[in-house]
Amino acid sequence: MRRKEFIKRSTLTVGAGIVAPYILPSGRLFAKSGIEKAEHVVMVMFAGGVRQQESILGRYLEDSQGVSGVAGNIMPNLFNGNAPTKKIVYGQDIPGQTRGSDPIPRLLTDALANKGMTFNEVRAQSAGHYVGLNTLLTGSVSTAQGLKTRPLSPTIFEYLRKHRGFKATDCWFVGNGIGNSTPLLNASTNESYGLNFGANMFIPPIAFGSYGQNTLSNSKAYSNNELKPMYEMKNFLNNSFALENSRQTTIKNTDDERTHIKEFMRATYTKQSLGQIAMPPAASSNDAFNVAYSAEILKEFKPKMLAVNISEVDGCHSNFTGYLRSLHRADHITGWLYDYIQNNIPEMKDNTVFIVAPECGRNLNPNPILDENDWMAFDHSDANSLRVWSLMVGKNVPKISVGSEGNPIGRLTDLVPTIADIFGVYDDVMNSGFIDPMAMSQFLRV
Amino acid sequence: MHNFKYKHFIKIILFNILIMSIYCTKEIHVQYQVNAANIYESKAQKFKNKNEAEYISILYTSLYQKAIDPMELFQAQSVLYSIGDQNVAKEMLLSGYFNNPKIIIPSNADMRKDIPAFITETYKRFYLRYPSEAEKVYFTNYIKNNPEVTVELIYTAFSTSDEYSFY
Repeated sequence: MRRKEFIKRSTLTVGAGIVAPYILPSGRLFAKSGIEKAEHVVMVMFAGGVRQQESILGRYLEDSQGVSGVAGNIMPNLFNGNAPTKKIVYGQDIPGQTRGSDPIPRLLTDALANKGMTFNEVRAQSAGHYVGLNTLLTGSVSTAQGLKTRPLSPTIFEYLRKHRGFKATDCWFVGNGIGNSTPLLNASTNESYGLNFGANMFIPPIAFGSYGQNTLSNSKAYSNNELKPMYEMKNFLNNSFALENSRQTTIKNTDDERTHIKEFMRATYTKQSLGQIAMPPAASSNDAFNVAYSAEILKEFKPKMLAVNISEVDGCHSNFTGYLRSLHRADHITGWLYDYIQNNIPEMKDNTVFIVAPECGRNLNPNPILDENDWMAFDHSDANSLRVWSLMVGKNVPKISVGSEGNPIGRLTDLVPTIADIFGVYDDVMNSGFIDPMAMSQFLRV
Repeated sequence: MHNFKYKHFIKIILFNILIMSIYCTKEIHVQYQVNAANIYESKAQKFKNKNEAEYISILYTSLYQKAIDPMELFQAQSVLYSIGDQNVAKEMLLSGYFNNPKIIIPSNADMRKDIPAFITETYKRFYLRYPSEAEKVYFTNYIKNNPEVTVELIYTAFSTSDEYSFY
């Protein structure tokens, strides 16, 4: 071969190698149908049924208990506005003083609402928790969704794994309990997507709580090399059994990913026993626990997509004072998680879009249950329960505030298209046929 | 007086008959046995998924030769629910069980003394069936060619495999 021809052929070969098409699980060549806006998304599913009145509108007791002169913002890390000055019961306890009289100091120097895009008045598609959570994760109105079953429509995790080519450990769902349908939210039953494209999941209060400690913390540490023969034999057995996709019962990680997760769990149990898990400073609730372990997952795996569910605000069914306290703490732990990413995970700092949105609102009128302060509780079933908000901050997110009570803009089903838009797979997701036809990316709404 | 004695005598006889009819019953010998269980002829017969409680209690009994404590079962079941990848959860659970000295499993030396017998027993223990010839050959060669393979690793592979999750 002549020298010139050799150089030409080698250059072509190398060039072809570099631009060689990457075949995605969806069967498509190349991943992106749009420009990626950020490399990571963290979504906080906030926090078990939140009334507009006590959250984004900063009305405190004004619009709930018929008390006047007590408006104020009890969510300083998320929203702007001065705190209430009277009847403070949502803070921390100080011995000898009224219970909850000391508000938790604001963690963030500036509220998240000032840093990015706020949709002040968004329509939720359901007044219930589970359909609401489904809506946040699937972008579908989920009207036919049953309880204690996996979502019927694909979740954002499945869209991203199938159309963007993310691996299992790139996608995480962090749930707050094993009751109802929560532990089923990491993948749908959809035939075109399903468990093969599902996300990894932890329910930290169980997996890293006393049950997890008692059951798993005694497990042996094997190296990758030690486990290699086990995986080889297991793969032989699984190939021999040839389980069809429709009978799969779990999401699948690669052998290396599984080893990584197990090492993470063992390391986390050790850190836990040494008291080294970073926790939000002023909250020790189940939700705080959940958020703290989300931070551990973020630090270890730097996932592309993580959704964490918190829910203690739901105590509002029978205890309004408890609701205010939980709302204040949910604000605190959400601010803490944002701050943790900025200060402890350099790979995700300034490269992440952080989204916060409730799965549903709460009623306009109270039920007759009175709490310790003789304040009435609220359920969620009326039109006021369909009023929510959403916040989004981070890379390539414009600073803008849109919508109002008289001018609602956007739907909760917008969030899945928005995340798809962030990762550059908007068209694939919108054309899947499973997204609410009225939904669209929030970037396109403003 | 005579009349009284006779009546009294009849009453005593009747009373004795009554007592005997209540307290003297024929002894029934009850003997409990275990029903014969059929071994699967083929893995294709397994189509029902074991739920978490079934999986854990069968596994525990298989490894410790005794039933699991209900509280331990409840905790382990909850933990399996709380982890997305069931393979991760089951492998962790298993390695915890292997760390317990009370486990009853053959030694590695026993396994290597008679590999074909060990393979057959392992298939029966976990899959309730005999291995096919191809399976026997694969495992015989694999164990022979890989001295680092232990009973623990083989048991982990079997008990976290897809087939073990079905019955």
